[in-house]
Amino acid sequence: MTGPHGATDARDVSDATVVVTDLSKWFGQKVAVSEVSCSFGPGVTGLLGPNGAGKTTLLRVLAGLLSPSAGKAAILGRSPRSHHGVYRQVGFVPEDEAVYNHMSARRFVEWSAALSKVEDARSAARQALGTVHLTEDADRSLSGFSKGMRQRAKVAAALVHDPQVLILDEPLNGTDPVQRARLIDLFVRLGGEGRTIIVSSHVLAEVDRMASRVVAMVNGRLAAAGSVTALRDAMSDTPRLIRIDTDRPRRLARRLLAGNWVESVRVDPAGIEVRTSDAGALGHDIPIAAVETDSVVTAVSAEDDSLESVFRYLVDQR
Amino acid sequence: MRAYLMITHSVTDRLLGLRRSIGLFLLTGSIAPILLVLAPGRSDEQVAASYNDITVGLGMSILFPVAALIVSTAALGEERKAHTLPFLLLKPVPRWVIALAVVTAAALASFLVLEVGVLASWIVAGAVTGEWSIGTATTVAVAVQSVASAALFVPLGLVLGRAALVGLGYLMIWELILGDVIEGIQASSVQRIVISAWADLAKLTPDNLDTVNEVLGRVEPGVGGAFAKAAALAIISITVTGFLLRRRDLVPE
Repeated sequence: MTGPHGATDARDVSDATVVVTDLSKWFGQKVAVSEVSCSFGPGVTGLLGPNGAGKTTLLRVLAGLLSPSAGKAAILGRSPRSHHGVYRQVGFVPEDEAVYNHMSARRFVEWSAALSKVEDARSAARQALGTVHLTEDADRSLSGFSKGMRQRAKVAAALVHDPQVLILDEPLNGTDPVQRARLIDLFVRLGGEGRTIIVSSHVLAEVDRMASRVVAMVNGRLAAAGSVTALRDAMSDTPRLIRIDTDRPRRLARRLLAGNWVESVRVDPAGIEVRTSDAGALGHDIPIAAVETDSVVTAVSAEDDSLESVFRYLVDQR
Repeated sequence: MRAYLMITHSVTDRLLGLRRSIGLFLLTGSIAPILLVLAPGRSDEQVAASYNDITVGLGMSILFPVAALIVSTAALGEERKAHTLPFLLLKPVPRWVIALAVVTAAALASFLVLEVGVLASWIVAGAVTGEWSIGTATTVAVAVQSVASAALFVPLGLVLGRAALVGLGYLMIWELILGDVIEGIQASSVQRIVISAWADLAKLTPDNLDTVNEVLGRVEPGVGGAFAKAAALAIISITVTGFLLRRRDLVPE
């Protein structure tokens, strides 16, 4: 992992399909992306960052919509700016809400399929629309679609030609919880089938649910890359919050406080929350403390092992 | 070929949206009611001469170029402003094919919009004079106008946010004012290329001929030369548009 502590370097993956090398992009005086190097391979990778971090710019450079000011980006070994043939293997969902309002969803997806040189565009479009649950509304004009439905139509158009690489810029924006869950399941399934799925989001919980790997950007720079857990482990000097469900919270809390790795404890009727500087030592001590205090421990979980905490930490570091 | 046809179809379809088509028809169709007002009490020859004068003085000098400008700048300009260009560009289609299809669509949509107005005045003039071939030359001229305007204004719409305004400035300053004053630029003036095609085919009275010669200046009437110049402009435009689509950043920061 690169980033705060450089614990391990997970910027690159061994089976990379998308490679970014020393990439910078500036607009006049404003630097949007600065010297980013990383790669993406099969599976779902979450591209994380707050608004203005440079995620959209990076994805647009990857897709070939913007030219790099320095460095390069390659998909399946080729630059999309100079090899348009690579788009047979690439699907892109832009962040913008815009769609072709003069088309129906079916025509839009069929059109995308035909331009992507799909043999049976009609059949492929029908299948893609079914995948995003738009079959019943397929013949309605896109101008009458809600934001969430437009997002799903864009996803259908992006995957209608069965691409190897799918680049999704905030694809869950505007979707309701049911649609969101379905899209997340779809992305996880597509990633599981060996496709490279790059999903940007600033909603951390969403990425947490679908991405096995995270690339985090802050202020145009790569802040960290790796699995969520690996990122969290690298932040060894950051106290971690551990939740222990037990029938005797007060007794167990008193016992655990004796260990010098415990910084604080908060007790509630169902258990305790322990803030510790050494999660490993605490994990080792919990069963011993449970036996000593005659407590039944029903669950132990890391309360802050979420992208939210990882991300907040990375932003603070920058 | 399939990609070319699909892009041409979808862009034409978008450019001929109902609101724009109605608005532009009101613009290009305004020659017909003027003729209706002028016709009573005049001879057939006088009405035909008026048709020719209004077609050149109002239609080909202002209404047709402005309508074609609005359609052509919208061909890629609207896609850029609406942020829908990625749907068009991120496809395995050569950029020159996209450029060719968009210029074709702009020319086709312009022609259809202009021709509706031409037909309206053609029907009025034909009904009054009994001379039903009177609009043929104008139809040929708007075909030249459509190709030339598409060639000029499609790339302009791609690179400029206010392309229609800039194009309007070009029409007013370069074509109408400077074109009259500076003889050297008359041969490359779109307005004169269009009128040269029309003048070669239309039945003109001596008065009409004076007006046309005054507008054309050093440019000789000739439909073949007009089409050749429009085609040359289109080839340059497709090359430039294809280059811009390949090289420029086509989404905002």
